[in-house]
Amino acid sequence: MRAAEEIRVPSLPARAPRAATGRTALAVLACLAGLVVLVRLGQPQRLAWAQAAFIIFGSILIQALPFVVIGATTSALIEVLVPLGTLERLARLPRPLRLPAAALAGVAMPICECGSVPVARRLVAKGLPPSAAIAFMLAAPVVNPVVIASTAVAYRGRDVLWLIVGGRFLLGALVAIAVGWTAGAAAPESLLRPSPVGDHEAVELGRPEPRWRRFFLHLGGDFLFMGRYLVLGATLAALVQTFLPASWVSRLASTPVLGIAAMMVLAALLSLCSESDAFVAASFTPFGPAAQLAFLVFGPMVDLKLTALYAGTFRSDLARTIVIAAFAATLVAAMWVQVATG
Amino acid sequence: MTGVARTLARRAERRPSPARLAGAAVLGAWAGLFWWLLASGRDALYLSERTRWVVPVGASLLSLAALGRFATSRTTRPEAIGRREAWIMGAVVAPVVLLASLPPATLGQFSAGTRSSVASAGVLGSREMGSGALTLVDVAAAQTTPEGERALAARAGETVDLVGFVVRYPDTPADELLLTRYVVTCCVADATIAQVRVVNVTPGRFRPNDWVRVVGTIYPIGREVIVDARSVEPVERPDRPYLTP
Repeated sequence: MRAAEEIRVPSLPARAPRAATGRTALAVLACLAGLVVLVRLGQPQRLAWAQAAFIIFGSILIQALPFVVIGATTSALIEVLVPLGTLERLARLPRPLRLPAAALAGVAMPICECGSVPVARRLVAKGLPPSAAIAFMLAAPVVNPVVIASTAVAYRGRDVLWLIVGGRFLLGALVAIAVGWTAGAAAPESLLRPSPVGDHEAVELGRPEPRWRRFFLHLGGDFLFMGRYLVLGATLAALVQTFLPASWVSRLASTPVLGIAAMMVLAALLSLCSESDAFVAASFTPFGPAAQLAFLVFGPMVDLKLTALYAGTFRSDLARTIVIAAFAATLVAAMWVQVATG
Repeated sequence: MTGVARTLARRAERRPSPARLAGAAVLGAWAGLFWWLLASGRDALYLSERTRWVVPVGASLLSLAALGRFATSRTTRPEAIGRREAWIMGAVVAPVVLLASLPPATLGQFSAGTRSSVASAGVLGSREMGSGALTLVDVAAAQTTPEGERALAARAGETVDLVGFVVRYPDTPADELLLTRYVVTCCVADATIAQVRVVNVTPGRFRPNDWVRVVGTIYPIGREVIVDARSVEPVERPDRPYLTP
């Protein structure tokens, strides 16, 4: 029965949805076939902007989806291998230690931001305090060794190398801790959005299914749950990337606070992978190191595809809190760096 | 009832679940797309050399997930699939259909105007230029640091042989073009441009986005690099159209 308790809490849908009929299935298939006909006959790619948008959309999905699957695999492994209560020991740590420990645990998770969301969701469902899970989720894509190494490569040979590399690690951890602290100690049931697929399927007539069946059910369920939001986020990010010239933002470079805020907004709109965003940040030479740090810290925590994932994973209050708190904490931290470095 | 009999009885109670089968189909569709990208080489149109590994990894994991989902599709509690869920699953599969239907294409002139240049991005860092043949990556990398600029300037007058696509703006003189390649670190979303100005081109012969091979003499002038063309010939788009830093 333990397995049943583990997965029911955050996952049962509020009410039974209307069942799809054969007609619904045919309509969906007809729409997909219509898409093929539209692309083949209409050739929308003849429009230069449409072609660019399709390529960027495809590239974001093709790069991010494997990381979502890796995240979903990790999440499913946690579900079937980590006994309920193991993570509650971490909850018994004093709060001043709990959040830094969770944020620094991100060092051991060298995957992009898309992969950390399903893991955090599963950790909350398994009993990790939400504040710690959020600190881990936000810190992992910023402080992991792969991201720090790519940042060092992007800035090598520049005077600000160590300021950017060290600053990214420290500010990334601090902002993640601050956001986790802001999220507070609310109960998991009030933070996670119910999943319409997957989790509740793992119990048959009160009997726990074998571990391998539960693993695949959770893996598939998490992927299908996250995949829809990734598709939505990738669509928005591709449109922004297609139409937003990088030069527009550069006009704000000389304005102290606005420059930092502009780089943060740009990071959110571009939705770059945290392993490559340093190369783009380094191109904004009119902006100072503080604004570039803000780009590097805020981007892996909040962007269009992540916002879609948060909206699907967490209740709207919490998703909003994460976005606002991450923005405020990054802005304050970057302004402090700006003052400290002159 | 023995344990074996109980297991057999439980198996007999299981029926296919439409929701699980639909999920397996979605996962299978994505797995199929990743295998197709790998087999056709189309991954090169979306990813850099450095991140190509995600395609076989994604294909393998998605295949495993699809097979696992299919293997667990029989249950004692078969769930119907909701109407809304059916449409959402269709939306998740739509990118697979779209990407498989589109003809192969790369970023071209349209995006060159919205992208940062390699020279300002420092994507390539301080590469050793050496004494071998200069490539567009070398030229772009040299523009990122004063030392690089000096090293490139020392090679003024040398012959270069470069491949890229044509970018032309309304104010580009008729006998010039901007030879351009995108430099991609992870995926096309982070593309930056490497560009040289080519002069002495036959007016009207090449249109934007045409792929060409330029042989000529290089003249670095400050942060601008000019190639005085001896020949400009059309070529097929390379198998790997994006450069990797």
